[in-house]
Order: sequence, then C-alpha cells, then structure tokens
Amino acid sequence: MSKTTNIQIAKVHLTSKIWQTFVAVLGVTFGVSMYIFMNSFMNGVNNAQDDLAFSALSHIRIYNLDNKNDYNPIESHYKDSKTLVTILNRKNIQYTTGLNNSSAIVSSVMKQPEVVAIARQVNANVFFRGGSKQVNGIISGVELKSEDELFNTAETVIQGEWNNLLTYKTGIILGKLLAEKLGLQINNSVNVLTSDGVSKNYIIVGIFESNLKTMDETKAYLNITAARQLVGKNSDFASDIMVNIKDRDNTASFIQKIASMIPYQIESWQEANEQLVAGSELRNIIAVAVSLTILLVAGFGIYNIMTMTINEKIREIAILKALGFSGNDIMTIFLTQATVIGLLGALVGAIMGYGISLLINMIPFTIAGMETLPIFFRAQDFLLAIVFGILTTLIAGYLPSRKASKIDPVIIIRG
Amino acid sequence: MEKTISIEINNLIKYFYEPEKFQVLKGLSFTVQKGEFLSIVGKSGSGKSTLLYVLSTMDTDYEGTLKINGDVLTGKTQNQLAAFRNEHIGFVFQFHYLLPEFTALQNVMLPALKLGKLSIEEIEHKAYESLRLLDLKGQELKNAKRLSGGQQQRVAIARALINSPSVIMGDEPTGNLDTKNSRAVQDIFKQLAQEHGQTIICVTHDPDFANNTDRIIEMQDGLILS
Repeated sequence: MSKTTNIQIAKVHLTSKIWQTFVAVLGVTFGVSMYIFMNSFMNGVNNAQDDLAFSALSHIRIYNLDNKNDYNPIESHYKDSKTLVTILNRKNIQYTTGLNNSSAIVSSVMKQPEVVAIARQVNANVFFRGGSKQVNGIISGVELKSEDELFNTAETVIQGEWNNLLTYKTGIILGKLLAEKLGLQINNSVNVLTSDGVSKNYIIVGIFESNLKTMDETKAYLNITAARQLVGKNSDFASDIMVNIKDRDNTASFIQKIASMIPYQIESWQEANEQLVAGSELRNIIAVAVSLTILLVAGFGIYNIMTMTINEKIREIAILKALGFSGNDIMTIFLTQATVIGLLGALVGAIMGYGISLLINMIPFTIAGMETLPIFFRAQDFLLAIVFGILTTLIAGYLPSRKASKIDPVIIIRG
Repeated sequence: MEKTISIEINNLIKYFYEPEKFQVLKGLSFTVQKGEFLSIVGKSGSGKSTLLYVLSTMDTDYEGTLKINGDVLTGKTQNQLAAFRNEHIGFVFQFHYLLPEFTALQNVMLPALKLGKLSIEEIEHKAYESLRLLDLKGQELKNAKRLSGGQQQRVAIARALINSPSVIMGDEPTGNLDTKNSRAVQDIFKQLAQEHGQTIICVTHDPDFANNTDRIIEMQDGLILS
C-alpha cells in the first residue's frame, strides 16, 4: 500500500504543475524524435548511395589478375652454380587472360546457398568510331538475363529494348553520352576497334542512361557471344564473373569459403571500393554522434527540471520524512515521475520522429535518379531511441532524487 | 492504573556547530509517563525546540540516549526512524506544514496510507471523522493551500492523530489559532491523553496553554529549570 501511496504522490506532483511536466516530456520527445529522424535519414542516404554504387558494382568479382611476372626458369636453374647469367630486355609472356573455363566456375559458385545472382562478362577496352569521331571506351559483353538480375540494367535502357541484343546478333547498346559524343542515334551503325586491331560494325539497338555519368560516357553493351567473337575467344570465355550474395556486408566469409575452389582472384566490393565503405561508416558515426548529443542535451534539460522540481519541493520532502516516509519512499516518488516523463516522452518522440521523417521524405531531391530525400526506417532505431530516451531520463532523474532522499527534515523545518 | 514510561532521555547533550561550536542542550535527563500531557516552555534560544526535535527522532546528531515505549532509538538508521515516526509519533509543526497540492483529506490520510495497516476506505472514514472533530467539515476536498492559516493548522493536527500514535508532539501547535480554536485543540489533547493514554508533548509560548497541561518543563540555556 505504501508503494501505491508513493505513486499517488508522484501523480499529484506531475498533474499539479502540468506545464512543467509538459516541458520535461517535450525535452525527451525532442531528443528521441531527432534520434529517430537522424538515423532514418542517414540510413536512407546510405541506402541511396549503395543503390547508386551497386548499379555497376557486384558484391564479388572473380577475375584473372595474370600477375605471374616473376617466372624466370633460367635464373632459378643457375641460382646456386657459379655461372653468370645475364638476360637482356626480359619480357613477360602472357599465359592466360580472363577465365577460359567460366561455366565450371559458375556452376560451382552457384551451388553456394548465399548466391543470389551470378553473371559472366567479357570486358574489353575499345575505340568507338562514328564517322570521323573516335572515342575510347569499354565494351561489355553480357549475359542479358543474369546481368539484369544483378544490376537492373534493362531499366536503364531509355531507347530501344534490352532484349534487342538477343535478337540482333550485331546489335549494340550505347551509353547516352557516348552516343551523343559520337553523334549517333538509335539504328545507326557504329564501328568498334579493339586493341588487337579487330574492327567490326554494329547496329545501335538501344541507348541506356544510368545514374553514373562515367558509365554513360564510356560504356556499351554487347551480347556475350558477340563479344567473345570480337575479342577472338572461345565460347566459354569470360573476363569477369560477377556474383551477388544475400548479405553484402558478409563478403569476407563467403570469399573464404569459395577461395579453395577457384584458382583466380576473388575481390569483394569492400576491397574494390574502400571509399564507399569509409563514406558509409563516417556517415554512421556522424549520425550516432549527433543523436547522442541531442539525447545528452535533452538529458540535461530533464536533469535541470527534476532538480528544480525537487528544490521547489524540498520543504514538502522534509514534511513527508517527518511523517515517516523513508529516503527510499522519496526516491520512489521522484523516480516514478522521471519514469513517467521518460516513457511519455519516448513514445511521443517515436511517433513524432516517424512523422518528421515522413515529411522529410516528401521533399523533392532529383539528383542521380532520386526523387525525394531518402528515408529508411529500421525497427532497431526506434527501439534504441526509446530505450535511450527512458534511460537518459532515469539517470537525469536519479541524481536529484538521491539528493532528495538524503534531505534532513530538521534543517528545513526549523527554518 | 499502573504507570508506564513513555519517553525516557538520559544525559542528552547537543551542540550546534554553526557559526561556532555551542552547547545547546547540557545533559538533560527526564522521563515522561504514558498518557501525560506535558508542555515545554522557555525563552527563545533556551533549546526547547531543539529538545523537541531530538525527541521527535528527526534530529539524530546528539549525545546521550533516547527511549520511546521502551525502544532505544539512539543509533538507529534514518529509515528505521522514519518507520518508527510513522507508526508511533504524530507531529504538529510550528508552521502549518501541509502539502499544498493535496487536499485537506489527502494530507490527513497520507501517514496512514504510508503505514498501510488499514484499508483505504477505513483510512478515509477515519480522516473524515478526525476533520469533523476539528471543526473542518466541508473543507475536506479543498486544496490545502486554499485553506486559512487556522484551518491548515487544524488539518495538520488531524494528520498527526490519524495513526493513533502513542506520542504526539507539537511545536507551538496553537500558535496560529484564535482563542476558541486554541481551547478546542487543548481539549482534544487533554481528552486524548486521558482517554486514550496518548502522551502529548508541546513546546509553547502560550501561558494559558501551558497552565492547562499536566506538567510544565521550563528550560533556560539548555538546562531544565523545573
């Protein structure tokens, strides 16, 4: 019964100065809602950034680095003898380029349960020529269906059709800016010249526009069989194999798993794009720092209000103690108030954070394929915000409550 | 009726340390019988209020021993003393210290709610009864801060009585009352002492009040004169 009495006293305190309670609740609300908004916004930005990056980047890339330039049979043969060996103008012989047995690799990688999509590519640096104009760029021979699974390339084709590459053996799809540079339009023909001196004409069956300007300026797609023909390779050749897995943050363990099966270089997107990882990590740190600061400031606000309340009620606390209320009772009374303020503030804050985020999500932002400012909600942010909000309030309420519980009734009553 | 000892103090010494060390109570010893109505008088600065605060168990910074109802209270923790006060001591302050945001009824009920020995209905009934006895009928549900000084003082007295404590202590309990109400309070105290055997100790300046009690302790410079 004593417990309920304490809670009733707390209730009277909270309701008799409703404005003060309101301001305290508002402090928590502000902290919690800003925490949720900041994190949802940062998540949205990170996701947008990733979507942008992964429109041309797979989670894992398998390729042949061909860096065996330390092979030197003559020197190693005479290494321990007293023969003087001099080799002038030594050159590396190219043993292999690309992956000549790509279907074997594809089928063994496909067996892994983590794999979501896998696509082979034949990439080559070429010159594009349209009339007198000559532009250097990259030709990418792709498996149409799996390429689209990985990168949603079909969506980026703004004129013509992605699948035109299937039907037209000599079809090519050019980046929009590349086509403009060459002064070419759809259904025109374009000449492609490889580094080996092979020259071939293709019909432009499509134009694509991605979110990456460099791609639009330099890239063209061919069917993979046409590309193999162009570079003069066998029908199982691929220069790169692109793999997407379920959890892109978990590439390291996947690579470790498949490394023994594949005698080629396996590279994760993190290794290939450290700046991406760094950018997203830094944004996360900023988000956490800002939101913690907000919660801290809100905590100080609550601390102030609680201290003020307790100073105001110092005489009442003394009376309660004289009447036989113990220090623990006094603590319960004020901690109950802090808890109510914390709970109320956190819940209202969560709702408000959600609302603010939705509003921000409506602000137009039309750069790089985005339409509005990005927002992404995660349940854990809401949970953390609420837990932090309540915790901050409790800590901010605990210190003044402890002080209140130690008040000596005589000193105050004597006057 | 066999006389039992309600309060016993032995060689009570107390110092004030601010602004400089000063002996307020200089080795007091006396006993108070159960059901005795006692008043403590003396000039201001004689140490009578200080003595009362020590007796009330709120002030623990003293030398000597304090016994109430046979329990040695010297050396107990603050929380133990708070629980003891709640059950055994009713206190009426020099100023009418009520909780301003609570109604008169709630103020009176609080010590009983804290004690938790009766149901809320019983406590409420008892509080109404007590307030009626003190001529406060109709004021029960008003906020304490809306009552007049005299009314507040009587609410404070009702609050002190709610747990039927064995000892009631007052620091100028009638200081804010007119003659009529002052008399009424004195009569209630007298009745409580005689009929319920409750011990009553009041510090007072009012000679009429003092003369109306069973025994007067007069203090001067930290010593008992008579």
